[in-house]
Amino acid sequence: MTRPTPQQVSAIAEASGLPVDKEVATRISDSIGPAFDGFAAIAGTLPFDLEPSSYVVAQTLKVGR
Amino acid sequence: MSTEPALMTLTEVAKAIAEKKLSSVEVTRSCLHRIAEWQPKLNAFMAIESEPALKAAAEADAALAKDGPKGPLHGVPLAHKDMYYEAGHVSTCGSLIRRDFVATTTSTALQRLKDAGAIRLGTLQMAEFAYGPTGHNAHYGPVHNPWKLGYVTGGSSSGSGSAVGARLTFAALGSDTGGSIRMPANFCGVTGLKVTWGRVSRAGAMPLSQSLDTVGPLAQTAEDCALMLGLMAGPDPEDPTASHAPVQDYVAATQASIKGLKIGVPKAFYVDDLDPEVARCLDATIGLLKTEGADVVSVELPDQRQLTAACQLVLAVEAAAFHKRWMIERPQDYGPQVLMRLQNALAVSGVTYLEALRWRGAALAAHVAATQGIDAVIAPVSPLVTPSIAESDVGGAPGAEAVIQRITRFTRPVNYLGLPSLAIPTGFTATGLPVGMQLIGRSFDEATILTIGAAFQRATDFHARVPTLP
Repeated sequence: MTRPTPQQVSAIAEASGLPVDKEVATRISDSIGPAFDGFAAIAGTLPFDLEPSSYVVAQTLKVGR
Repeated sequence: MSTEPALMTLTEVAKAIAEKKLSSVEVTRSCLHRIAEWQPKLNAFMAIESEPALKAAAEADAALAKDGPKGPLHGVPLAHKDMYYEAGHVSTCGSLIRRDFVATTTSTALQRLKDAGAIRLGTLQMAEFAYGPTGHNAHYGPVHNPWKLGYVTGGSSSGSGSAVGARLTFAALGSDTGGSIRMPANFCGVTGLKVTWGRVSRAGAMPLSQSLDTVGPLAQTAEDCALMLGLMAGPDPEDPTASHAPVQDYVAATQASIKGLKIGVPKAFYVDDLDPEVARCLDATIGLLKTEGADVVSVELPDQRQLTAACQLVLAVEAAAFHKRWMIERPQDYGPQVLMRLQNALAVSGVTYLEALRWRGAALAAHVAATQGIDAVIAPVSPLVTPSIAESDVGGAPGAEAVIQRITRFTRPVNYLGLPSLAIPTGFTATGLPVGMQLIGRSFDEATILTIGAAFQRATDFHARVPTLP
């Protein structure tokens, strides 16, 4: 996963119903880009059956001492 | 114990009122006196409700004489971050958009404190919609650090940190979505508890990110935080995400010894690129915990940068979803920094957002595996010492965004994992600004980190130092 380009930001913003101009799209791309870089190793690698609700199950995992 | 009531801890003052050694009116007057002195310097309060507070205090005194204490906080005046709804009262959420918003319901956390006898002193400043880590607010002005005017409080619970630090309120509710309790606690020299996600009901608290938001206290001591948490924790029919996990006896936990507890020091990330004064403080804190009997070991945690990234993606999208209507209808009414942060979500697709959420359980399981046998992990709250208001103003200072990214670096992983974390004051810089550490615990095990925090505070006096009026 790579950070979105200003053009891609513009397209997603338009689809979200919150269109932005080119300057704002560039600023957004620069600002959120590091989060995409940081998540790149995870994106596209998750097992099929993993649901968001697995988090609540993980909260109950016991740590042995 | 101080002779000035406002300087007492929450635990001390609650006991003094219950035992009729002090009246609620005396205590409330003492707080209002300090507020009158400090508020012009700090800008910590959003609203000061002197007359209603004194009236409520007189009623509390009369009720105590007639029926005994209503609960553990009988007659104790408190003020909270201005995002906890109370029916019939304005809750600005630090914003222009909600400047005149009158709540029709009362938040569960606030109601539980009221049920315990607490009375309302006013409301506290905050970052606009709790979406800012420094204490800047474009509409109501910055909140100042009580230890040094012109320096940030940390945010978003800026007024809570500043007011507790200056002893204007005995405790205050904050909220922590990306570090918003721990950073003000760190920079203002107070104790702040970010609870396990789901430990305290979020009903009636302004939402920012439903997957990350937590409600918790800032106070002088770990014992005070334990008292507050014990009153608020537990399930709530108004918030289905509030957990049924057993509520521990947190106050009892603060009396326990840390002998034999195993505390992990991360081998990387939290010890990298620290300001020398933060590094010195971390070493000193570890040394003291060893002296008190803790078993301190190194721990290798999973990649924390990935957790930070996932946290940012989830937070951005959920915040923007809450704000979408106002982003369309009233964009001009947001402060520039907050609107810019909200717009960041416009780069994130639905698939990416859900991937970041789907990974959360696996990431927590990996953390649990990495910390097997460890009771708590210790880490700085921030790699930096307190920045000035000017140097962290995104609207003016060059490099301010980089400062903001750095000060939030150590808090976001905990939010993504939903773990509890207790921020405690652990020292001061050469220029007199507080430095804190966070004790990161296991899910729903706030008791252990409160035990460690309280033991540290029995052996030190950093939490008990009081700033002087500039």
